[in-house]
Amino acid sequence: MREPNIYGSDTLDAELAPQFAPATSDLPPWGKTTVVGAAVPRIDGHDRVGGTAIYTRDIALPGMLHCAIVHSPHAHAMVKRIDTTAAKAMPGVHAIITCDSPEAKIPWILTNQGAFSQLLDPHCRYEGEEVAAIAAETPLQAADAARMIVVEYDVLPMVVNYEVATKPDAPKLHAVGNQPSPARTSQRGDVEAAFAKADAVVERTFHTSCEMHVPLEVHGSVAQWDSGKLEVWDSTQGVYAVRDSLALALKLPLSSVRVSSHFMGGGFGGKLELGKYTVFAAVLARMTGRAVKCVLTREDTLRSVGNRPANTISIKAAARKDGTLLALDATLLGASGAYPTGATSSYMLLDLYTCANVRAVESSVLINAGQARAFRAPGYPQAAWALEQVMDELAGKLGMDPVEFRLKNIPVVSQLRSGQPYTSTGLADCLRDGAEKFGWAAARKRPANKGHVKRGIGIAAGMWGSPGGPTATVILKLYADGSANVNSGAADIGTGTKTIFAQVVAEELGVPVERVSVENADTGTTQYAPSSGGSQTVLVTTPAVRSAAADVKTPLLALAAEELKIDVDKLTIRDGNIEIAGDTKKVPFSALRSLAQRQQLVGVGRRAPHPVGKVGLPFAAHFAEVEVNTRTGEVRVVRYVAAQDSGRVMNALTFENQVLGGVTMGIGFGLTEQRVLDRQTGKLASGSWHDYKIPTAMDFPVDFQCVPIDLQDKECNSVGAKGLGEPATIPAAAAIANAVCNAIGARIYDAPITPASIVNALASKGGK
Amino acid sequence: MLPTFTYVKPTTLEHAVRELATPGARACSGGTDLLGCLRDRVLKADKLVSLNGLAELRGISELPNGGLRIGALSTLSEIASHTLITTRYHALSAAAGAAASPQLRNQGTIGGNLCQRPRCWYYRGDFPCARKGGDTCFAKEGENQLHAIFGGDVCVMVHPSDTAPALTALDASVRLVGPRGSRTVALDAFFVLPSKDYTRETVVEPDELVADIVLPPPPAAALSTYRKLRSRGAWDFALTGAAVALGMHGKKVERARIVLSGVAPVPWRVELAERELVGHELSEALIERVAQRASEHASPLSANAYKVALVRGAVAEALSELRAKG
Repeated sequence: MREPNIYGSDTLDAELAPQFAPATSDLPPWGKTTVVGAAVPRIDGHDRVGGTAIYTRDIALPGMLHCAIVHSPHAHAMVKRIDTTAAKAMPGVHAIITCDSPEAKIPWILTNQGAFSQLLDPHCRYEGEEVAAIAAETPLQAADAARMIVVEYDVLPMVVNYEVATKPDAPKLHAVGNQPSPARTSQRGDVEAAFAKADAVVERTFHTSCEMHVPLEVHGSVAQWDSGKLEVWDSTQGVYAVRDSLALALKLPLSSVRVSSHFMGGGFGGKLELGKYTVFAAVLARMTGRAVKCVLTREDTLRSVGNRPANTISIKAAARKDGTLLALDATLLGASGAYPTGATSSYMLLDLYTCANVRAVESSVLINAGQARAFRAPGYPQAAWALEQVMDELAGKLGMDPVEFRLKNIPVVSQLRSGQPYTSTGLADCLRDGAEKFGWAAARKRPANKGHVKRGIGIAAGMWGSPGGPTATVILKLYADGSANVNSGAADIGTGTKTIFAQVVAEELGVPVERVSVENADTGTTQYAPSSGGSQTVLVTTPAVRSAAADVKTPLLALAAEELKIDVDKLTIRDGNIEIAGDTKKVPFSALRSLAQRQQLVGVGRRAPHPVGKVGLPFAAHFAEVEVNTRTGEVRVVRYVAAQDSGRVMNALTFENQVLGGVTMGIGFGLTEQRVLDRQTGKLASGSWHDYKIPTAMDFPVDFQCVPIDLQDKECNSVGAKGLGEPATIPAAAAIANAVCNAIGARIYDAPITPASIVNALASKGGK
Repeated sequence: MLPTFTYVKPTTLEHAVRELATPGARACSGGTDLLGCLRDRVLKADKLVSLNGLAELRGISELPNGGLRIGALSTLSEIASHTLITTRYHALSAAAGAAASPQLRNQGTIGGNLCQRPRCWYYRGDFPCARKGGDTCFAKEGENQLHAIFGGDVCVMVHPSDTAPALTALDASVRLVGPRGSRTVALDAFFVLPSKDYTRETVVEPDELVADIVLPPPPAAALSTYRKLRSRGAWDFALTGAAVALGMHGKKVERARIVLSGVAPVPWRVELAERELVGHELSEALIERVAQRASEHASPLSANAYKVALVRGAVAEALSELRAKG
């Protein structure tokens, strides 16, 4: 039932498995582009801000019913008895399913780790786990009826502290125990021998807090049955992934399930999976013969649809006097929540810097809280928080500039892929160009200011370890008037995917962007694309868009040659015209009678496989300047430079936008966001946007600069782009932590850094 | 989702008071707090009595004695930008401007800000805490990083208002109107400590409403400000705040009020620190001493000892700001 999670180690396993992608030959790389890379405003921007975009919640079907969900109020409990008598008698109620219903028996969390659950499970393992669902005429009637369902529970001992949950006497969530998977060790070289030769050693333990995704659009679905086929509107990052899981859950052929998500309002990894709410809508719709809408409340989304798991990461690191990184020895522990999922990623520890001797031991543990999910670079910001602070301390011990220290250890091959070279590597450029734009060298020489408000600067680097993919198919239609339609299953989760598709078509065919329409994210009508997660949408799907555009060119030229009675070799396509060699005459596509007769030409594009024996991955280096008020513990990020190597910049506006959003998210991870569970009951304390603090516009630095490295990568794929969404957030919090340490002369190891942690750090520094 | 209630919008104070006297009735002005409490089922209401038709509760005007009357329906935005307040009662405009977000300040009223309910996550969440009729304060042994270091008892919530400490420091009083007529209560006596009654935050009776707030004329050479410390740049309640109002005579402090927010179940006046100020020139050394005094006698819980340092910081920042002005 579950998607394979996209934690670093799992994606690497998938990537290194034999690939059966069709061996299509790829297009030669672009040279200089005119539309691709330009600052083209979003083609759906007006719809999104003007309110005309139709999101899942806006869908209203004739006779549609509304679903409300009953949740366990306990962190750990067994349902003893459910009484729906009163609820059934409420006005407008059409159907109720509970953990006693046959419909509830759909197996849910299916893993090989021995931890089973079903759609509605009497064994509730976290506050907010679902025990019943109701369909009624109106949302109010459904909510009123849900409150009339009487549930009796046996409350069980619970554990929400993940370090406590590893102890043998901790309450157990599943019969297999709280750590069903053994620890996973990744290593190369000889770590112990390397420490013996080291000139500098740093050993530290870090903690990061659990973060929520909180996309603006809450999770929800509308389901309707039509002649035995299921149609679903869902707020999702991956219509195909949801279709596959839904078909499996309801035992339907893939061809009988249609999932669409044309407009969606953000996911950040929290909408990659099939949600129970989708199955409730489908099951209740089948029971009632009516369409059913099931939209979660904001409070539900804070408990039950995923999070970035808290991590404890200990690192011992060693270097030689000359700045050579000798060894990294790390242990990582992550909190999976109530069902097993990998909750750590050691990827960056193992591959960001050249290091001959590394060891990472990773384990995850179950706690009585909602299950962790992929969250914008799963595991990476946590690893960066630890690794990049340790790198800073090592540089300090060696008396080296932290930028120089990192530059000294830049890899040109992927050590995790047995030394495969990178198709391009911009880590050194990110560090150098970023440092220059930031004025790093001058800022380091600046004397410390005398007052109680201290300024500090910090740097952190990062990378994203997945090249995405491998496959996507795109159909492109060129119409008689010369306008075009791109058809792809990719969801545009707010990143500008649709706009970039239109730019690629414009670039290839010369059709203006505004004459390209994009049809997307519908398994019934659009072609397969992978989920919009893992920073892969542009680099996996736009090569297929480009290939589809190229596929239209051949028949178009053949038609033109026939109609114009000119040898096809003399014809070329440029700017929406057929051009004839040795002739100044241009024939617009719309002037071709042969095209008008056919009405349309259809091109099919597929993405070629990844280059063999090489890999293209994105890198980043972030530079932060902070002001710390040592009286009050207030931290302000006042200046920021984010240098990103993501290969070709596809759209200057959406590129900067992604980076700005990634840095904002990093500010939240580093300074404000923290899920708080009550230790006495296991229930969520930070259950609102007052208490779960995402950063506001006031927390973002006024002086912000995005520095795209814009490397020419001719090998990674036919558009030359690498991922951006995730690398834009990975180093941000660590850069801020390093800047705080630079400002106050005391290091803070636990995220987020709050006024409390500042005054506590200053107090223990003073006490020493 | 909001539970069912009836709604009336009287146009006279007398009618409003009569409606409020019916069982299950609650007053509603901006609604920014009440509607959330109803939606989250923290509070119940059978009837909402809108105060928005009461013209007599509006307006900000100078009194014959040189003081100021602020109608209870004045929004936080109006107060934050009103010239008479920014120039003569700066602590109040600063506090109103530091509250919530622009949208909430445009909607929320000063009367509502004084009467708002606790923001403790146990009170607002699905926890049967003492203040909601349960038998325990979950924060005492639980997640108490945001809770009280002064004045805690059966309940250790902190009073969430920014304007209340400012008004207390400015010696304001509140005029309440009810079926028994009107009465005036000094801000100092307006809030109720849990040791006295942990089921209520103010002395306002269910059938009374806040009509207006009266500020005395500012003392000669008055200086005041409010310094708020919070976890993020906007839309956040105070971790700690300090409202300071001084009356100066030449370089010397003649009269001093220091009232803290975010650290106690009521706006917390620190008279020991005030006394330290009177009769002296505002020097850096004095500021440090006063800040230290303000933080004394705190009783931190397991996770909020940092607030003791924050009290020192907020008071020192506020006094430093006034020293620079004076």
